[in-house]
Amino acid sequence: MSGAKDDVILRMKDLKINIRVDEGVLTVVRGVDLEIHKGETVGLVGESGCGKSLTSKAILGINDKKCRAEGQILFDAEGTGMTDLLSLKPRGREIRAIRGKQISMIFQEPMVAFSPMYTIGNQINEATLLHITKDKKKAKEISLDVMKKVGIANAEKRYDQYPHEFSGGMLQRALIAMALVCNPKLLIADEPTTALDVTIQAQILELMKTLQKDFGMSILFITHDLGIVARMCDTVAVMYLGRIVECASAVEIYGNPMHPYTRGLLGSVHKIGTKGQKRLFSIEGTVPLALNLPKGCGFYERCSKRIDGVCNVQDPQLTDLGDGHRVACFACAGCPGKEEPVHE
Amino acid sequence: MSKGDRILDVRNIHMRFESKGVCVRAVTDVSFPVLEGETIGIVGESGCGKTTLGRCIVRAYEPSEGSVMYTTADGETLDFLKIDRQTMKKYRKEIQMIFQDPYSSLDPRMTVLDIIKEPIRANYPKMPKQEIEKKVMDIAARVGLNTTYLKRYPHAFSGGQRQRIGIARALVLNPRVIVCDEAVSALDVSIQAQVINLLHDLQQEFGLTYLFISHDLSVVEYISDKVGVMYLGKMVEYAPTRTLFSHPMHPYTESLLSAVPVADPTVKIERIPLEGEIPNPANPPSGCFFHTRCRFCREKCKQETPEYIEMEKDHFVACHFARELDLRGFDYGEEPDEENKTGN
Repeated sequence: MSGAKDDVILRMKDLKINIRVDEGVLTVVRGVDLEIHKGETVGLVGESGCGKSLTSKAILGINDKKCRAEGQILFDAEGTGMTDLLSLKPRGREIRAIRGKQISMIFQEPMVAFSPMYTIGNQINEATLLHITKDKKKAKEISLDVMKKVGIANAEKRYDQYPHEFSGGMLQRALIAMALVCNPKLLIADEPTTALDVTIQAQILELMKTLQKDFGMSILFITHDLGIVARMCDTVAVMYLGRIVECASAVEIYGNPMHPYTRGLLGSVHKIGTKGQKRLFSIEGTVPLALNLPKGCGFYERCSKRIDGVCNVQDPQLTDLGDGHRVACFACAGCPGKEEPVHE
Repeated sequence: MSKGDRILDVRNIHMRFESKGVCVRAVTDVSFPVLEGETIGIVGESGCGKTTLGRCIVRAYEPSEGSVMYTTADGETLDFLKIDRQTMKKYRKEIQMIFQDPYSSLDPRMTVLDIIKEPIRANYPKMPKQEIEKKVMDIAARVGLNTTYLKRYPHAFSGGQRQRIGIARALVLNPRVIVCDEAVSALDVSIQAQVINLLHDLQQEFGLTYLFISHDLSVVEYISDKVGVMYLGKMVEYAPTRTLFSHPMHPYTESLLSAVPVADPTVKIERIPLEGEIPNPANPPSGCFFHTRCRFCREKCKQETPEYIEMEKDHFVACHFARELDLRGFDYGEEPDEENKTGN
């Protein structure tokens, strides 16, 4: 997390994603700026519908056709240097050389991510054969090697089995093997352990940490579970209604949360060991629909610290409070709105 | 009957499912008492039988063996699993259930009003319309639903709102016991906090008794007075919440606790990884069911099934060596003040 410019491997600039629906245009992602450094784990946290999955899928260009992405996603691609992934054709040769090779992804539901018709080995091989070698024997060797690395016991036997013969945890390991087989620079993990039990989840998280060290890759970790973020991530970006509202190191976010949404989110999670001490904090209301959004801060309606005449008029921008802690809120100390309140 | 009296006594419940000559023992010999006004948490990984147990208790399944002694409001005790249809009809409304998935547990073709009305119609066919309407309105307002929207269909409501509908439906018959099967698992954290607070308030107001089934240990720790841990269909440990979380006596509980992600990056927990996966319940291991994954496993564990006994006051454990092992739980620090303990 040195912040040096040269080790940034991915930089999103003002990413916007629109979806055309019958009722109008849904702006689901409304200007996301995010940097991922080499070897770093960035957590993208938010509740369902905040646009975190769409943001991550936009990196690989695998969003639905109805989604239109604007802005820039710069990726430090091998050979070509900083490339804007959004300018590449979604089915073109360039993006396909990156997708699955330099950036790969693991999904939430391992049971859905695999095709039930092919053996696990066959499916892991697919990436190897496409990107590394044309030799099937060699591909098998590579696949078996990765399967062992992710802790699949009896890899030779498992190689020829079908997904239904795997348990959830094993299948998630296989999915990780498939993602890592080409030694990617960036791994996007979209809620990789949500469907798993806690003990299996702990196994998978440990595994991901170890593999990250071995492979030296960066991870973009998408989740709604604040406990997992605390365990896994160096940097945390909190997303609300298509915007990053706060971004800082994990220790900062948990120790010194600034944005009312982040505070609310942390307050609504019960920490074991504090039983009976306090009532859970709950953010009133629900996330508004991203259709025809009103002007101003997206959190205005639910915010306990809102300043009328400011928050519902202007849209707060992410502001650096020094030491890399960025927050988009007029009501936070150090932010523009707080110092010079706008009077009617 | 007053608060603190025994309302349910679950005794030696067995549930076996048989198909194609294979017998799966989903629940094996589970017993525990439930006191009025208490919340009992049941935790365990998927497939451990916690949902089956909940369904056996409300008699959605007919257990293969065992009894659920229910003490009625008049102080009469009867076996809920043996009573005939006529008596059942009288008492079934006193034990209700809230389901996990707020999307599939509501009929999409009924208005919310009808959904909440249905239990009254079924149980009190002669109740006049106005009275029903009033009852529904009262309960809907109490759980935080906007009563002007009750003529709408479930699809028009968000996940949190739907869960409130489910709660209203369970409450409308003034039950005494509610089985909450993963009642908040499908919700986002901020909404989860709202629903948990609501459940807590309703308990205070109506003196409800909850059986709270969940895989989320932080939620269970927050809401429960006592917690039972299940593994492979058996109750392996049962104790008051604080005791269980601070001084677990079963190795499985210890591992489970250590796997919980805590939302604080400065907390470093030494994890006790569980090797392997849950064995097949159709073919459970010999002796202690947990011996295949237990780090303290000895010869005795492979041969003899440990008895489920009261090791300390109110602390039930099924492990041969529970007294010898010194297991780690969460550090609670100092006792919280009495004032804060009651919450606000």
